[in-house]
Amino acid sequence: MVESLSGTMRRKARRSLVAMAVAATLMGGCATGDTGATEVWDPIETPNRFLFSLNRVVDIIALRPVAVIYRDWVPEPAQKSVRNLLDNLGEPVTAINEVFQGDPNRAATTMARFLVNSTIGVAGLFDVATMLGLERTKEDAGKTIGLYAGVEPENGGFYLMLPVIGPSNARDGTGLMIDYLADPFRILTFNLAVDWTAYQAARYGMNVIDYRSRTIFALDDLEKNSVDYYAALRSAYTQNRADLIRQRREKTDTKGELERRDNLALVR
Amino acid sequence: MSLLAFRRVAMRLAGAALLLVLPALGPSASAADPSQLVQSTAQQVIDIVKNKTGADRQAAIMTVLQASFDMPAMGRSALGTHWNQATEEERTRFLKAVATAEARAYSERFGQYAGQTLTVGKVVPRANGVSIVESKLNQAAGQPIKIDWEVRGDRITDVKVEGVSMVMTRRSDFNSYIQNHGGKVDALVQELESRANR
Repeated sequence: MVESLSGTMRRKARRSLVAMAVAATLMGGCATGDTGATEVWDPIETPNRFLFSLNRVVDIIALRPVAVIYRDWVPEPAQKSVRNLLDNLGEPVTAINEVFQGDPNRAATTMARFLVNSTIGVAGLFDVATMLGLERTKEDAGKTIGLYAGVEPENGGFYLMLPVIGPSNARDGTGLMIDYLADPFRILTFNLAVDWTAYQAARYGMNVIDYRSRTIFALDDLEKNSVDYYAALRSAYTQNRADLIRQRREKTDTKGELERRDNLALVR
Repeated sequence: MSLLAFRRVAMRLAGAALLLVLPALGPSASAADPSQLVQSTAQQVIDIVKNKTGADRQAAIMTVLQASFDMPAMGRSALGTHWNQATEEERTRFLKAVATAEARAYSERFGQYAGQTLTVGKVVPRANGVSIVESKLNQAAGQPIKIDWEVRGDRITDVKVEGVSMVMTRRSDFNSYIQNHGGKVDALVQELESRANR
């Protein structure tokens, strides 16, 4: 009798402990409001940190100085033209992703942009399409996956530090690979057996420099004001990507998103 | 018919819900208008950046931070679970160091004023008196930056730049630092204090 009673009590205590742990996890997740995740899942932190330090060496001695020179010395209109050119080359991939995101209208607009800018815009040097009211959108396969993955967008699988490219995760890394494989420009040059390696290299190189030049301010700020730059960047990257995916989700499912937010707020 | 009845019930329910919600909204709405708070805070910061430099600017920013932001709550949130383990003395020192670090970061962030303006957009109310004020920081060159402000009562409790929450980022940052330094809050506090004196 006593034996069984203590047994039930122990079981009860254990169950309430589990309940408390679950509740604590839920509360912890919700305590921050919008951003559901508390910590980014980073099972390969040690190799990630190692790659991060390598990336930083490359960044400090090569990438950042080049980006600073590019930002400060190259005239603004030239930078803009380079940006337009690179954006234009990226439009087909965006259109493909918009089709897979179930937004054919948006994909058509993107293709219209591509056609207008490639012709009237002189191979994409000038963004005529925006002047005509065709606004630019940027989509990638990471976002497409995130749109359909039935998880909080903060959860992009394990965190991944890529060489040179920088912070990523399982979702966005896969997306990057898909985008690379699906890129019509890559497929075209490959099938035509034309050796455009130099052009491709120049394109990817310019993309890196252009992107780095536009992130100098934010990354410098983050580095200076954090005690653990790696962790701060990991969090900032995850939140930023989650926000982009969330915006995309809201566009497709406004009501569901609002309800989810309300529920979060209520738990809090 | 049944559809009509359903609609009537739904309307009545909605009406009841509205009645329930209204008094809850009342006090927080009258206490302070969130968009007004954000607007005036941004204007104060812009004025400070325009007119002051160096230590003066940092001190002025600190005043704005203390007046418009809920610094203790933000600090507590940024420390996460480690807050409970911290001693009373560590907490006080931590909050002070964080406020200094934040004031310094803000005063150095803008450098020279370059004509930025803040356009306050719509206010999205949430439960528990929290509202999100959406805004855009317009720059002289380039795309405007999306900034969302979390306001609770008459204080700002978080700022999100392009979806990146200040409090969340600090929390990850601090948490990781503490974990890599033997799980001691003291290590973090000392680091922050030494940075403040630099």
